[in-house]
Amino acid sequence: MAEQKEISLSILKKRWLKFKTLKRGYYSFVILIILYGLSWFLPLLINNRALVVSYEGELFFPVISGYHAGSEFGQDVPGETIYRELKTSWKQEGSENWLLMPPYPYSPYEDITVQGNKMYEAPSDSHWLGTDNTGRDVFARLCYAFNISISFALVLTILNYIIGVIIGGSMGYFGGKFDLFFQRLIEIWSSLPMLFVIIIISSIIRPSFFLLIFIYTIVNWIGMTYLMRAEFYREKSKDYVAAALSMGQTNFKVMFKHILPNSLVPVITYFPFAVVGGISALVGLDYLGFGMPPPTPSWGQMLDVGLQNISKWWMVFAPVSAQFVTLIMVVFIGEAVREAFDPKVYSRLR
Amino acid sequence: MSNNRLVDVKNLSVHFPVHGGVISKRVATVKAVDGISFSIDRKQIVGMVGESGCGKTTVGRAMINILRHVSPDVEIGGSIEYHFGDEIVDFTKLSSGQVRKYRSRIQMIFQDPYASLNPRMTVAQIISEPLQLHTKMNGKEQMDRVAWLLDKVGLQPEQARRYPHEFSGGQRQRVGIARALATNPDLIICDEPVSALDVSIQAQVINLMMDLQAEFDVSYLFIAHDLSVVEHISDKIAVMYLGDMAEYGNADEVYHHPRHPYSQALLSAVPLPDPSRKNRKRIVLKGDVPTPLNKPSGCAFRTRCPIAQTSCAETKPVFEEHAAGHFVACPIVKGKNKTDLH
Repeated sequence: MAEQKEISLSILKKRWLKFKTLKRGYYSFVILIILYGLSWFLPLLINNRALVVSYEGELFFPVISGYHAGSEFGQDVPGETIYRELKTSWKQEGSENWLLMPPYPYSPYEDITVQGNKMYEAPSDSHWLGTDNTGRDVFARLCYAFNISISFALVLTILNYIIGVIIGGSMGYFGGKFDLFFQRLIEIWSSLPMLFVIIIISSIIRPSFFLLIFIYTIVNWIGMTYLMRAEFYREKSKDYVAAALSMGQTNFKVMFKHILPNSLVPVITYFPFAVVGGISALVGLDYLGFGMPPPTPSWGQMLDVGLQNISKWWMVFAPVSAQFVTLIMVVFIGEAVREAFDPKVYSRLR
Repeated sequence: MSNNRLVDVKNLSVHFPVHGGVISKRVATVKAVDGISFSIDRKQIVGMVGESGCGKTTVGRAMINILRHVSPDVEIGGSIEYHFGDEIVDFTKLSSGQVRKYRSRIQMIFQDPYASLNPRMTVAQIISEPLQLHTKMNGKEQMDRVAWLLDKVGLQPEQARRYPHEFSGGQRQRVGIARALATNPDLIICDEPVSALDVSIQAQVINLMMDLQAEFDVSYLFIAHDLSVVEHISDKIAVMYLGDMAEYGNADEVYHHPRHPYSQALLSAVPLPDPSRKNRKRIVLKGDVPTPLNKPSGCAFRTRCPIAQTSCAETKPVFEEHAAGHFVACPIVKGKNKTDLH
């Protein structure tokens, strides 16, 4: 029976196996997945708040519990505790109190207002990629921006896909007046100068993560409808659809159970490139200053600041190389996916 | 006789409008099927033959009511009355939602075994789909039924977990037959089920279908362009030409004593595996089938008919009974003696 299972693989499983053999894309995929997974635990890895503080026999967890005034731990500073200094001072005193810092003890938000931080510090052991014009740690900001960029691109792409597949699929499947109406609507919609629309909206309303996704989705769902319309239009005339209909399957089931699995090739092969588009879009908006509100860490904003201070090489180098590496890995994935789905290679090397 | 009737097709016409120009106005009409009548009794096999493009497949698809799906603006006239017990249902008058509950009674076997099975579903999923829709079987019962059906069509029940692309054309067509039989239908419309198969496989599949017909007490509308296949399997034969019915009658009668000049030409073209008969009269038609966009006036066949007369261009020939149960649409041959082709 085990042998039987090995023989009977769905087409998608075969393509996944083929994808695994394409090392460059597969490793990029694995690395990106791990990095993105890790980036959700960034507050535990890169943060200026201690993970655990043991003060006079009591345990505190500032990473989770948040703000603790310096006076709570007997530190003479205005406002929040500076845990790094607290740690060194306790060590010097040989105190029984102890605290555990994250591996990289700087936050993307702490600037020169925090005691001990300097502007334009060159890369060193403590600041791996130096500090920027307001004394914030570049490496910390880079990592947090990675999470935001990828999340933005993924949420944006998936939302676009859901809307694009439903509308495009319905256009192709139902055809007729429904198709005609949406075709004209899409033609009008796509001719609007969307960058200006976004800039205007962002200058009126203070943009946020979800507002930006919302605005971009309004613009970007169109791209997928073309592909899905064509796919559904072609697939619906095939006999297996007629067979499903002749046995009384509902339109909804025919569309999503029968046609959609057979129309996934453009969806999947296009996905990595759509993610690249999403990342670049956010970088572009942030660079122009219409993206995420400051002080949210973002590559576009870092690039903007870096170019204003071009002599501080680390401030430009860091965001550019982070973008470069991320985008090229996504493109590698996209290429491998495309190759895995290529019927020619597939049928010959199978 | 009449309480044994399964379906009456009366004056069925299927017209596809052709749109053109800037404002998509109607510029022409493709008369794919132009007023045909026939009937199928229970447990009967009706063969339907004709050249490609004569509307055979359209008749089949109209009878199962899936034409509107691909061409929403198709015009269907006449009636297709199914007799389900005491109920008489006219498929041309029902909405797609109303038709749904009768779907299990009529199934279809498709011409292309590669396109008619969803490549993303296993054989078990494909065959159990009609069971999910029309029965209250649970998963276990469905799988038992799938295994039983696969056994009936000559496949191994273990093959149920495989995907269609792992089967040969003949095996796929058997899967298609199993799917059609799953809900114990009254009628199966077989749309050239063996045309895409090898000749050696054709015979196997045809014999399988005949065995299953006897076992499941089902009727077939067997659409094909291979006359010898149709004669082998059918009780009755309908000959179509350019959307019209040319001749309809008992298989023996039509095959051996065709009356319509088109049937005669068609049958004289059947290759006979008998060298002693190689000198038989061969009727070769001239020209091509005219386009259904612009059908000839009167009798559609007159442009190629060897016995055409001037009167043929004036009125459309009446489809009438020339002998008991033998309908012919040609007034010229009426009353003439039977011709014996073979």
